[in-house]
Amino acid sequence: MRTNLFVTALVALLLGVVLGELGFFDGARLMRGVRNLGILTSEMFPPDANVLPVAGKALWETVQMSFAGTMLGFLISFPLSVLGTRRLFSPVVSSLARLAAAGIRTVPVLLWAIIFVILVGLGPLAGTFGIAAYTVGYLAKIYADLFEGTDPEVMEAVQSTGASKLHLVRFVYLPEGANAILTQLLFMLEYNIRASSILGFVGAGGLGFVMQVYLQTLEYRRLATVLLLILMVVLAMDGLSAWLRKHFLMAPS
Amino acid sequence: MIQAENKDIALRAEGVWFAYRDHDWILKNISLSLPEGKVTIVMGPSGTGKTTLLKVLAGILSPQRGNVVVLNQLIETHTQRSLCSAIGYIPQQLGLVRNLTAMENVLMGALGRCGHGKVLLGLFPRQEVEQAQAALDLMGIGHKGSEKVFRLSGGERQRVAIARTLLQRPRVVLADEFVSDLDMALALEILGRIRQAAAQEQITFVMSMHRVGLVREFGEHVLTLTHGQVMPGFPTQGPQEQSSAEVS
Repeated sequence: MRTNLFVTALVALLLGVVLGELGFFDGARLMRGVRNLGILTSEMFPPDANVLPVAGKALWETVQMSFAGTMLGFLISFPLSVLGTRRLFSPVVSSLARLAAAGIRTVPVLLWAIIFVILVGLGPLAGTFGIAAYTVGYLAKIYADLFEGTDPEVMEAVQSTGASKLHLVRFVYLPEGANAILTQLLFMLEYNIRASSILGFVGAGGLGFVMQVYLQTLEYRRLATVLLLILMVVLAMDGLSAWLRKHFLMAPS
Repeated sequence: MIQAENKDIALRAEGVWFAYRDHDWILKNISLSLPEGKVTIVMGPSGTGKTTLLKVLAGILSPQRGNVVVLNQLIETHTQRSLCSAIGYIPQQLGLVRNLTAMENVLMGALGRCGHGKVLLGLFPRQEVEQAQAALDLMGIGHKGSEKVFRLSGGERQRVAIARTLLQRPRVVLADEFVSDLDMALALEILGRIRQAAAQEQITFVMSMHRVGLVREFGEHVLTLTHGQVMPGFPTQGPQEQSSAEVS
């Protein structure tokens, strides 16, 4: 009990010090921020509907990039995650697969987009590859951890029938992990839609380019329209996730 | 060494020692012989190593010392895959895949002799599907094949697990406390079906169990595991002095 109190107090103290260093207790600065928020908000309303055709087209490109990038990343991450499963492969193989996933994950999605702009030129193809790369790093780790958490009794029972590694992936890992596999994939798709909306900042296609133009030209009413469009897509994704979970996931996990 | 009365020995352990951690022996110099085509029951209080013993006999765990010989083949010299048709293993929680149907789970018993082509798409040879259906019929749940396992009752799941093991066409089946969660009537019915399968197919069943009433009813050959060693017959205090529900 005393230890818990001590740890709580220590964390609170640390938080206070860090927030202080970051300027959290600078009242004048915060008040200025609140005033600026008021000004910015007033300048964003009402949203400018005239940009809908342009923003809509860019949004469609963003959704395409996110979908293609997520699915491409999923297809690559799946075998990588299987290789990273210590129950199936030797420590050398699984460590190398996990190291590869960690390396890919270390690079932020924006940097991946810049790398692919250099490799394949400006446009949505670079964005798609960037999203795919980041997705590989993230999903490969999540899925490898998921597979390792599979009930050892199920593994032992199916292994004792003489099943091969491929059989185990198909008949144990996939169905046992179906809930989590789909949930993480949908989360990744939603994350990528939000992430890819800024990839246009570095020339990788989608809404980001439009947003950047409106920000630089201080056309905040037009920016508000773009933000509302993103919100609509994210809400639609939420609905789609809920529907897919309801219809395709059966066994309670 | 405990010798079975029957001359035909399905499974033999010779001086088996096993520890999960260095020298913390769970099994100490275990030697036993199990008769072919009979139901052998391993008794003993919880935590005495019954599960470990069955896993060693099934080839899932490798003993640090000693040998396990199944149908005159030394387990260590064979890979799990080559032994697959000979040894079936049913874990305590049955090891079924909940998100697949009863039929799909039973068909997994055939994986050892199926390739990777169509099977990976879920398409098993017709002959295997017919045999899987026959195994489900034998267990009395032929009409439940298309049900997902998570929708089945405890007793139905036990039957699916046995059907899966039967499709494997094993000569020896090792089952770990797998009727322990069932009520007496259902456990008796399932054990009856096992005895029938053992007699029909000449399968050797080895089951760990702690419910004395069931053991008295079904154990043709009873062993007791205590302190890492096996003794023939019931635990020393005798089954009549214990609760009919549990030994431990």
